[in-house]
Amino acid sequence: MRERQGAESDAVLGVVPRLVFEPESVKEAVAVLGTCARDRLSVSFVGGGTELGLGAPPTELDVVLRTGSLSRVVEYAPADQIVVAEAGLSLSGLQRHLAPHRQWLALDPPYPDRATLGGLVATNAFGPRRARYGSLRDLVVGASLVRADGTAAKGGGKVVKNVAGFDLPRLMVGALGTLGLLTTVTFRLHPLPEAARTVLFPGVDAAQASSLCASLRAAQLEPSSSVALSSSDRFDLGVRFEGFALGVEKQVERLVGLGRHMGLGAEPLGVAEAEGFWSRHDSVRELGPLRLKVSTPPSRFPDFAGTALPALLGELSPAASAFYPSLGLGFVAGRPAGIASAAAAIEMARGEALGMKGSLVVAEASQELRAAVDVWGPPPPAFELMQGLKNRLDPDRRLNRGRFMGGI
Amino acid sequence: MGARPSLEEIARRMAAVVGPGHCFTSPAELLTYECDGLTHGRTRPDLVVLPGSTEEVAQVVRLARAAGRPIVPRGSGTGLSGGARPVPGSVVVGLSRMRRILEVNLADAWIRVEPGVINLDVTRAVAGAGFYYAPDPSSQSICSIGGNVAENSGGAHCLKYGFTVNHVLAARLVTESGAVVEVGGPSPDAPGLDLLAVLVGSEGLLGIVTEVTLRLLRKPEATRTFFATFPSTDEAGEAVSQIIAAGILPAAIEMMDGLAIVAAKAATGLDWPDVGAALLMDADGPLAEVEHTSERAVEIARRAGALEVRLPRDEEERQLMWKGRKSAFAAVGRISPNYLVEDGVIPRSQIAEVLREIEALARDHRLRVANVFHAGDGNLHPLVLYDARQAGEEKRAEHLGGEILHMCVRRGGSITGEHGVGAEKAAYMRDMFREEDLETMRFVRSAFDPDQIFNPGKVFPVTPLCGEKPERGGLHPAERAGLAERF
Repeated sequence: MRERQGAESDAVLGVVPRLVFEPESVKEAVAVLGTCARDRLSVSFVGGGTELGLGAPPTELDVVLRTGSLSRVVEYAPADQIVVAEAGLSLSGLQRHLAPHRQWLALDPPYPDRATLGGLVATNAFGPRRARYGSLRDLVVGASLVRADGTAAKGGGKVVKNVAGFDLPRLMVGALGTLGLLTTVTFRLHPLPEAARTVLFPGVDAAQASSLCASLRAAQLEPSSSVALSSSDRFDLGVRFEGFALGVEKQVERLVGLGRHMGLGAEPLGVAEAEGFWSRHDSVRELGPLRLKVSTPPSRFPDFAGTALPALLGELSPAASAFYPSLGLGFVAGRPAGIASAAAAIEMARGEALGMKGSLVVAEASQELRAAVDVWGPPPPAFELMQGLKNRLDPDRRLNRGRFMGGI
Repeated sequence: MGARPSLEEIARRMAAVVGPGHCFTSPAELLTYECDGLTHGRTRPDLVVLPGSTEEVAQVVRLARAAGRPIVPRGSGTGLSGGARPVPGSVVVGLSRMRRILEVNLADAWIRVEPGVINLDVTRAVAGAGFYYAPDPSSQSICSIGGNVAENSGGAHCLKYGFTVNHVLAARLVTESGAVVEVGGPSPDAPGLDLLAVLVGSEGLLGIVTEVTLRLLRKPEATRTFFATFPSTDEAGEAVSQIIAAGILPAAIEMMDGLAIVAAKAATGLDWPDVGAALLMDADGPLAEVEHTSERAVEIARRAGALEVRLPRDEEERQLMWKGRKSAFAAVGRISPNYLVEDGVIPRSQIAEVLREIEALARDHRLRVANVFHAGDGNLHPLVLYDARQAGEEKRAEHLGGEILHMCVRRGGSITGEHGVGAEKAAYMRDMFREEDLETMRFVRSAFDPDQIFNPGKVFPVTPLCGEKPERGGLHPAERAGLAERF
């Protein structure tokens, strides 16, 4: 196991740890957390570092545990479409292992080369294909973890269908490492699609994007992704179909017809153009130091795009957004012109989202902006139960202390 | 705290909350509530109450809590693991009166219902608009949504569409203190811990759910079904493996062995041939895609050794094929006086070997086993046939069932795919989980219910008292003698 003094490059939201451990086996990871428990050290877990901007700065940080050397594929059963892998393995590393069997973990979040499986689960990361395959909680079937007290435990299993015991693996999804360290994760896998095709509807407004997505569903088409990209009040809506070639072609034809019926010009994209569109999607998050994650009921996307979104985009330069109308999710990113006015716009947009029973999370921001706005927003009605869970699993609150909602 | 109130006093207070017609104490009225769908383990509760609203549930919980009485939540009582089986001294809280559909939102594809609403009635409420609710346990015409949430129910089509946990957006929960808490909501990724992830499938141990918001799906454009017969389960198992390996994700793929086919025929009058095994497969989705995948699947089945492939001529014939499959459980009653249903899961690729092993185990136990199961996800439902009138047969059947579960775990599977652990399989949890795993789950439980007032004696294995071994799903000898309680 590697062990050293913490440096600037180990900082979690600006907080530099005293010590850094990089265990090379699950056993070593258990030992590190055992030591932390004994010496009452506060600890944060770091995978690929792609979502380190999420949350509030830790209020205390003695140890950073890096998972990068826990990177083995433990078990892969292609015929069962199941893989067990250590939490520090990168998503690309996993996909490379699966590709010879024409399978993949159906997840397409940003930075797959760096993002680790454990980090993805802890942050509930996703990409546009969530529209077809669901989120991580639909893909995780088992997990091993190390509790704050240094005890190794597991939940779930190695089969997709399993209701034995409480679902600890799903509880870990999006828990931001506040309940324990993920050491191995078991996923269900999907076959790699044979063909893919993207259709672009350039320059539509939010209502048109929304109603096109509704019409798609009404017409019983099943796209794998729909995303509306924008830096103004017009959106470039991309719809992607994946699957067997014949099914993809038929669905593209029907979508083009549907668009024509609605008076929208559809452009089925060639391979290179489609790549261009999707890399434009990927680059939205790199536009600047601020990134917001917005959630609304799917049908309310046009409402959010009516007032809140222009107000946010107006505060940013450059500015861009990517919304997934069928999911009710989206990101806004860019560089704020001024801290106070950006904070005000964020609060206003959050108010809009909350009014629709949605949410707005500041997923990435400068320290100044963090000081001016609550990154998580108000705690939900069930917050007391969440605190109860935290208190039972990490009574000294040493895991990622202060980073998650309401100080969990 | 003062003296605990008498049963009469508790009943009087409960009746004041729910109305005298919805509170039972007489032995004749309590009889129905002694067990759920698993009828061979029975315990009489002291009291049954049927609240009609969230507020009544909350008051009932507060009263039971104050009286030191354990609470056993109950839906339709169709569960197959004894999850709704009362414990001595308990109050059963039945949710069957709470069966209103509260709100439908098709724009966002969800429906908000009370827990007593029957699974199939959810789909019926939205079918006219072209939507449906995906989880379809075989008991869907009688089982309740609240029970589905407790058990994380699956069904034949969960291979493609997932289980209850993948379809619950929000729930209203009455906690151990009688507080009412909203969990989740209509928008995705609410910040904070994902409480629904543990609430769904918690088997009534974390609280009582009094409202549920369920995700609805748009009906697929097309469904193609085929029924294929095989000389034995070896070829049928091979066909399943090859269909999946070809990159096809069927909506459902079900297998029956020879004995199950005989039983299903006896119950439905279907003209299925007497063969060693049969597969029933649904492919659904956009028409062009489905035609392609179902044709390929049929081809694969033939190559794997199918004797005959039948395609239904119309929806009516298709429904009939599914009726044969769905009635296979109960149908076994026609060829055997008694039977036990197991619910083990194995890695799908091992189906053929596992079925041979089950056959060998059955031979050793001098019993017959019929197999009808969800082949696509390796969820076996071995039906152990026995005659309770023959001395020792019931014990042998239980032993055989246990051996089958041990084997499922040994092969990397699970002791339950959809029926839940309940009272019946609590003793088998240690097969799958170490003490540290169970302790972690107990932490979760105690965060919701520190005093374990909800559904005690379920899911978690009881620590053996005085070194004695508890009987499977039954009472510990000390409990039976009234010396110990489980909460």
